[in-house]
Parts: sequence; structure tokens; C-alpha cells
Amino acid sequence: MVSATAAPARSFAPATAESPAVRLVLVGLSVLFLSVFLLAPLALIFVTAFGHGIAAYFQTFTNPDTLSAIRLTLLAAAIAVPCNLVFGVAAAWAIGKFEFFGKSFLISLIDLPFSVSPVVAGLTYVLLFGAQGFFGPWLTAHDVHIIFAVPGIVLVTIFVTFPFVARELLPLVAAQGNEEEEAALTLGAGGWQTFFRVTLPNVKWALLYGVILCNARAMGEFGAVSVVSGHIRGLTDTMPLQIEVLYNDYQFVPAFALASLLALLALATLVVKSAIEWRSAKPSEALEGEAA
Amino acid sequence: MSITVRGISKRFARFAALDSVDLDVPHGRLVALLGPSGSGKTTLLRIIAGLETPDAGSVHFDGRDISDQTTRERRVGFVFQHYALFRHMTVFENVAFGLRVRPRGTRPSAQRIRERVGELLELIQLGSQAGRYPSQLSGGQRQRVALARALAVEPSVLLLDEPFGALDAKVRLELRRWLRALHDEVGVTSVFVTHDQDEALEVADQVAVMNAGRIEQVGTPDEVYHHPATPFVYNFLGNVNLFHGRVDDGVTRLVREATGHLVFIRPHALDLARQPNGANTIRAVTKHIHAAGPVVKVEAVTEWGAPVHVEIGQERLRELSLQKGDEIFITPRDVAVFADD
Amino acid sequence: MTRVSWQFRKRSIIPGFGLTLGFTIFYLSLIVLLPLSATFVQTSKIGWQHFWHVVTTPRALASYELSFGASLIGAFLNFVLGTMVAWVLVRYQFTGKRLIDSIVDLPFALPTAVAGIALTTLYATTGWFGHPLSSIGVHVAFTRLGVIVALTFIGLPFVVRTVQPVLEDLDKELEEAAASLGASRWQTFARVIYPAIFPAALTGFALAFSRGVGEYGSVIFIAGNMPMRTEIAPLLIVTKLEEYDYGGATAIAVVMLLLSFVMLLAINALQRWSGRREALAGG
Repeated sequence: MVSATAAPARSFAPATAESPAVRLVLVGLSVLFLSVFLLAPLALIFVTAFGHGIAAYFQTFTNPDTLSAIRLTLLAAAIAVPCNLVFGVAAAWAIGKFEFFGKSFLISLIDLPFSVSPVVAGLTYVLLFGAQGFFGPWLTAHDVHIIFAVPGIVLVTIFVTFPFVARELLPLVAAQGNEEEEAALTLGAGGWQTFFRVTLPNVKWALLYGVILCNARAMGEFGAVSVVSGHIRGLTDTMPLQIEVLYNDYQFVPAFALASLLALLALATLVVKSAIEWRSAKPSEALEGEAA
Repeated sequence: MSITVRGISKRFARFAALDSVDLDVPHGRLVALLGPSGSGKTTLLRIIAGLETPDAGSVHFDGRDISDQTTRERRVGFVFQHYALFRHMTVFENVAFGLRVRPRGTRPSAQRIRERVGELLELIQLGSQAGRYPSQLSGGQRQRVALARALAVEPSVLLLDEPFGALDAKVRLELRRWLRALHDEVGVTSVFVTHDQDEALEVADQVAVMNAGRIEQVGTPDEVYHHPATPFVYNFLGNVNLFHGRVDDGVTRLVREATGHLVFIRPHALDLARQPNGANTIRAVTKHIHAAGPVVKVEAVTEWGAPVHVEIGQERLRELSLQKGDEIFITPRDVAVFADD
Repeated sequence: MTRVSWQFRKRSIIPGFGLTLGFTIFYLSLIVLLPLSATFVQTSKIGWQHFWHVVTTPRALASYELSFGASLIGAFLNFVLGTMVAWVLVRYQFTGKRLIDSIVDLPFALPTAVAGIALTTLYATTGWFGHPLSSIGVHVAFTRLGVIVALTFIGLPFVVRTVQPVLEDLDKELEEAAASLGASRWQTFARVIYPAIFPAALTGFALAFSRGVGEYGSVIFIAGNMPMRTEIAPLLIVTKLEEYDYGGATAIAVVMLLLSFVMLLAINALQRWSGRREALAGG
């Protein structure tokens, strides 16, 4: 299926290329490695999900607990993603457009949720809002439930997806410099006009990619949500938690059927990412094509 | 609208970019800020535009202090060195931007904006390129779009930062003549920054020569070239020979030893002869003769070993029938003397 | 109009600094810093002796050993194989390359629980890979080997994605210069290319390691979760929480948090180093 293309016909091998045999071995090893570790698990998900036929696959989505898990996952992502989108844009503007004291420290802090274990992230929220936690007594007194309830799930989802949009936008906003914004200001544009008409169009693809990654992670988060959810079936189980429940009940087809939805989301994320990369890699050529 | 700058100072981290600068730009003039890189000329331009805030001093438009106004309120047209065209907008949209972002009350109608942009695109001879994106234009075309975009908002003053800096030599020459003609047509008070003395001398009504955060001299191109106020200006505005000299009864004599006076002489202000001619003549030996081009450049060494550059016409070269290694006598016609400190 | 000489930030006419920085710091504090500091406050309530006792029980030590050891092995596998994949993707043209390039990010996009059940099914004794492997006596699922497989999967994109851009930017002239000076292809790789991509590969290694140590979802299905043998540190936290041992869970979490901070600092330092090397190479 995969073969290295032969080197162009020349009377001698170029000094900066490997022999065809070396190429073939390297390409072969890489494809084998990625097939074993990535393609095989991916294929297995769909094969198992459809293992008992299409009807059994769709039967999964009549289970009320499963449907409620899908609803909860959508809800958590629908809150977490916009929050982190607004944050990402604000952080990228503050950090990318200005020089100030402590900037690199701030960038490190924004990255922090990436290096904290999801389980630890969940635990910190339990320690803050749980019955034994910091605000626990107050929350209990006012009958507010955060841990083992939907607000806790939303909060930890925000935590684990916190850096995604900021991370994608920051380098781009910084690399674009301030000249176009200055030009807009000299032409009489206000701050918001400058942002919406000049800055945003220039970073829209990175923004979209950040949002999509953020969304994929928000819908798929397991460890952190598992800690704060309390696993109340039909109430506080998200899609990944419901997958665990089904899997542990040996209901493999429903487990993989539900997993296949998340796998499709992951594949869609990868497709969008590739499309954006392809687009931004050759904008000038595309434009020249239009002009001709 | 006239521009007045009073006592502007600006420091960046360790070095003083501007040190108490004063400048007057009368209404309708085209003024060049000329200086080497790091002389503070771009900083001064950005302060006039409100893109940079000075540490001290004030800027006035028509006598009105506008130091506390934002860039937006100043209504300046600014042309950036690298154009800063909006890359996701077409040429038309770039030029229309300044009109479209006006508050609803003062915003022209869509029809009026189309007409105005159309006029400007005709003015910059890019009427047929309205639908193109900046990445599809040549450097010179981008430059003209940047200019049209700045003019679209009918600015009170036009500020240009190294407007031809990023262009190749031939386009540069064309565009600076075009800019001069455009200025004569539009008549808006304009200031442009350049490090190229030919550009400043050819295009501007007035040249302000800047060095190390200060203005050394302001004058017409003729004044700054022929009557430089300081050694720096003399040096910066063309090739120059440097001698020690002694001034007796208004006559400058070139001498070998340091005297406390420096004499600046342009290469074309030196005469060559086969025979000594009067008292104020130095003997020299030719080292190289570059005869390609309209002007012949002669490199010689004086009797005390100092290099001298002389420019003469082709005619004169034939009269002298000069060869490499010949003994010649050099007589200055036009000199400038500065105290050596 | 004299202004103070020292400024918190360089003056700029771009608007919105106060608003955006203010919101950034507010949101960061609310979502990240407040919960994390709560953990340290809770720990201080436990008392040093109890804390030390909890974090050094044999069961806890065994879980660190597994989490760190398996992460190190997984990250090392990715260091070698990821560099190779990056090289292949940048330097060679072959059919299916676009697909391979896109699929590398799968572990970033695929939910960990989904990866966990897929890997477990794959390597169980009845699975596609598990069946042939068990017939030659290799057991992956529910052993430490399974943990390594899961952590290799999770860390796979990091090295590829840190090395790839560096390789793309690498000046071809450097290699041509080396070749013109008589270096063999292998010498050119070892002495010219490898030193240029090493900082990036090391950064990817550190990122993969850091991710692996904290990983939970993809591991717990395949690990078997036997205390002392196949129990990872994050699972120990969850177990203690389920036993309502908040103090114990917090103590282990603090150990892991401290490790996260150390790794974050190390990764930042690596990225600065790698960035400087690139800047120099770009000259």
C-alpha cells in the first residue's frame, strides 16, 4: 500500500538524500508503528461497535442513561468552550500585543492545567467545593450542590480545557505584530472595530482550531470528571463515564457504540485540523489561482 | 495644517531616542526627516502620529496642542514602512476601511464610499486592481495602496515612514517623483522619514537632518547641501574630503598638521591641474582613475599621505590626459570650515 | 507632561490592555490558581508526619515507581520512534502521507476512556494483538507492559509535533555544506541534523513524560489495577477518595502537583533552550 517514490532519475545520488533502501525501511517502520498504535485501536472501536449488526449499534442510543449522558456532555462542552474562548482571546490580546513585567510567568501559569493530572484537577475542586472542602459548609447550608452534581462537572471541564484556545492564538497574535492594528487606529477605527475587523480575521483559523480541540477535550474528559461526578446514572454520568459503566458491565457493543461517537468527533477534529493547516500553508498560491 | 513640535524627548530603556526636539512644518509643505538609523526620526514621526507617547514635550496642529489626543482623534494619514496593508482585505476594502469605520453619523453612504475609493484608485493608477489582495501586488503597488488608504480619510497631515525603503532602486526612483507630483496635486502637509539623502534632497521642500536624537539643521535641500550647519550634516549629505586648515584674512589654507579647524570639501569642489596654481594648492599623486559614467572619479594621495577624492568632467580628463601615478596639483574652490572639537 | 521612568509595561497605543489582562488574571485565578492553592492549604492541615507517612507507604511508593517508570519508558519509545516519524513525514514523499500526518494527533483528540477500552480489547488474550502475543507467552493487558503501551499511545504526538517544525525549518544548505566537506550521510545526521533537533525532541520527551505521569483514563482499563503491582499513582488518589480518605488523597496529589511544577519549569527551560538554538541556526 505504502511505498517510497523512487528518487528522480539522475546520474548520481544527491549528497543530501538517503539510499532508497534506507528510505523504505524508515517509511515502513513509521507506518508500522503508527498502524499498531493508532490505526488498530481506531479500527477496533468501529468493528466492535458494529460487531452485532447495525440494529444492535443503534439500539445503544435508546438507553435513557446513555441519552442523558450525551445530553450532559453536550451541556458541559457548551458552557466550557465559550468560557475558554473568551478567555483565550483576552489572554492572547493582553500577552500577544503588549510587553509587560511577568509576561513569561503568566504564560507558564496558563499552561499549568496541561501538566496537572486530570485526577488531581478533579480532587482540587472536591477540596474546594466538596462537603469536607473549603466552601463545603457554606454550600451545604445554602443547599448548593457543586460536587457530585452538574456544576462540578462543568467546572472541571473548564479547568482541563483551559489553555487550548489561548495556546493556539497566542503565538499567532504575537507573530503578527501591531502594525495592522496601528494602521487601523490611524484610520480612525476604535478598539473594538480594530479587533473585529483587523485582528480577528487574521487569526480566525487558529481560533477555530483552538475551539475544536477545546471541544474535543471537553467532550472526552474522563479522569477529572470521574472524580467530581459521583457516578449517579442518568444524572451525573457523561459520555466517557457511561462508556466505563457499560464496559465494566460487559456490555461491549453499547460501550463501543457510544465510544464510536466520540471517535467520530476525534476524527472530525483531525479532519478540520488538516484542512486548516492545508489552507494556511498555501494561502498565496490559492489567491494567485483566483487572480489568474 | 501646520505641525509644531516643541521640546519632545523620548527614552527607550537605555538610550535617548529623542532629546528635546523642536520642529516646525508650515502648512502644505513636504518635509523630509533625514538621518542615519537610530537617529530618532521614525520615533519623532510616530510621536507626531500619536503612535508613541513622548516622555516630555508637546505636539501642535495649527497651533492647537494635541499632545493628549489619541491617534484616532488626530486624523493623521500614516504610511507604514512595510505598508501594514490588511492582508485579508482587497485593495478596495483596504482603501475603504477608514471611511467604513467612521461612526454612523459621519459615515459616507456606500455609494459615496465607492466613488471616493474609485477616485483614489484612479489617482494611484490602480483602478483595475481593486479586487486583488495585497499578496498579489508588487511592492510599488502596495506602497501606492497604502498611500491611497491613508489619503482616503482626508487626513489633516500625511506622515510617511521610510515610504520607499522596501522597494528596489528603479521603482524607488519612479515612486519618489510620483510622490512629489501627488503632493503638488493634493497639497496636504506631509512629513516623511528617510535615510537616503538623494531621496530627501530630490523630493522635499524642506529637509530636517537628524542625528543622535537631535535635529542638526532644517533648511531647503539647497541650503542643507550647500551650507551645512554642522560637520555631521556636511558628512551625511554626500561624499566629502576632510582636511586640517588655517584661516588667514578670510582665505582658507589646507595644511598638514592639526590646527583646530576642520575643512570640508566636496569632491566636485576641487580643481585639478598639471601645474601649481596660486598659493593654496596641494601636491598629490593619482592612485586610481574611474572614468566610467558621466563623472570621472579620481583617487589621489596628498604629499602628506592623506587620501583625496576628486570628481571632474570627462572633458577635463581629456585636457589633462591624466594617467595613474601622475603628479597633480589640487586647488579647492568651495570649502566649509568647522572648529575641531 | 513628564512621566515616571519605570513602567509596569511598555507604553503602547493599542487599546484594551487593562481589560484583557485584568480578565485573564481574574479567570486564571478563579479556575486554576484558587483550586490548586486549596490543595496546598488542605495538605497543611494534615500535618507533616502524617503527610510523610501517607506519601511513603509501600503502596504509594510502588505506584510512583509504576507511573514514573512506565512514563519514562513510553516517553523514550516516543523519543526514538517519534523522531523517526517526524523525519519520514518531513523528508519523504509517499502515498498515504497526508493520512499518516493527520492521524498522528489522534491521541490528542480521542477521549482517554475510549482509547483505554480500545487498547484493552486489542491486547486482551482474546484480542487482535493479545491472542497471538499470549500464544508466545507475552501478556500485555492487565500487566505493567499494558501500562507502557497505554502511555506510549498517549505520548505519541508530542515528539513528532515538536521535532517536525524544526526539521522543516532546518536549512538544507547546512547538510549540503556537510556533504561538500566530505561527511557521509550518517555523519551528517549525527553531527549536523541530530544536534539541531535534539532540544526539540527532548522537549517532546518531557511533554510526553509529564502527560504520562498524570494519565488516568487510558491506563486504568488496561492496567488491572492491582495494588503494589499495576496501580498507578492517579488511581491511588481515586481509590483513597472513594474510601473518603481525603487527607491521603490530598497528600498523594500534592506529590504529583509538585512533580507537575518541576516538569513545567523543566519544559519551559527546554523550550527556551530549543528556541535559542533555532534562533542561532536561523541567524
